[in-house]
Amino acid sequence: MNPKNSSTDSPIINPETWVDHYGDYLYHFALSRVRDPSAAEDLVQETFLAALSARKNFASRSSEKTWLTGILKHKIIDHFRKKAKEPSVDNIMFGTEALDKLFDQKGQWKIKPAKWNADPMKLYEQREFMKVLNDCLSGLSSRMASVFILREMIGETTEEICKVLDISATNCWVILHRARGYLRHCLEINWFTSMSTED
Amino acid sequence: MKHWMFNCKEVTRMLSDSLDRELSFHQRVGLRMHLMMCKFCSRYQRQLLFLRETMHLHAEHSEDVEPSTTMPPEARERIKRYIHNVLDRPE
Repeated sequence: MNPKNSSTDSPIINPETWVDHYGDYLYHFALSRVRDPSAAEDLVQETFLAALSARKNFASRSSEKTWLTGILKHKIIDHFRKKAKEPSVDNIMFGTEALDKLFDQKGQWKIKPAKWNADPMKLYEQREFMKVLNDCLSGLSSRMASVFILREMIGETTEEICKVLDISATNCWVILHRARGYLRHCLEINWFTSMSTED
Repeated sequence: MKHWMFNCKEVTRMLSDSLDRELSFHQRVGLRMHLMMCKFCSRYQRQLLFLRETMHLHAEHSEDVEPSTTMPPEARERIKRYIHNVLDRPE
C-alpha cells in the first residue's frame, strides 16, 4: 500500500514502485485479453508511460491500481483498433463451416448439444478447465478473437466494437455468434464430453 | 406473411444476438415458443450463458496470477529502468 499524504487530498504517487506493485497484475490483465506476450509487455510499458505524464491529474477518487487498469483498458482497445487495420490473412468465414456441420439442411440439430455438468464458479477454479478454455480461445481467428474479447472481457457494447474495429453491427453480431458457437463446441468436445464418462 | 416457427439453426443465431441486442417482438415470441419445445436449443442457451459467465469470471479475476503469466524478469527490469529514467529527467 502506498502512503497517503494526510495534509492534501492527492495521494503521493510513487512510480518507482509501480512495477513491483502492479506489474504482474497489469501484465496478466493485458495478456489474458491480447493473448500475445510481447504485445502485453508493450501495453504495460505504454500504460506506465501514459500514467507518468498524467500523474498530476490523478484524483484520489480511485485507487492507483484502478486508475492504472483504466489506462491499460484504453491501451488494449487501441491495440485491437490498430490490429484491425493491419492487412490480415484471416479467413472471414472462419467458424461458419463448423457451425453449419451441426445442423441438417432443414436447420435441425444433427450434432446435438450434450448435457453439461457446469457450474462456472467451480470450473473456473480448475486450472485444467481454464487451460482448455484458453486453448479454445487461441483457436479463434484474429478478428473473431478481437470482437469476442472486446465484448466479453472488456465489456464493450457492439456499437462501440463496430467503431473500434470499423465493421457493421450485423457483421459484429454474426462474428459473435460464430465465436460463441465455436467456443461452445470446442469446450464440449475437449472438456464436457471427455469428462462425462467419469460422472 | 412472417413465419413464427424458427428452426434450430435460426434459434442459435437469435440466442447469440439476444446477448448483444434486443430482439424484435416477432423474434422474442418465436424464440420462446421454440425453446418450450426444444430441449437442445434450451441447452444451447444455457451453455451460451455459461460461456458468458465464465468469460466474466476470467476477466474479473485477473488477481489470481498464475506463475506462467507473471511478467518476464527482463521486461520487468526494462520497464523499471524506463520509469526511473523518465523520473530522472528534469521537467
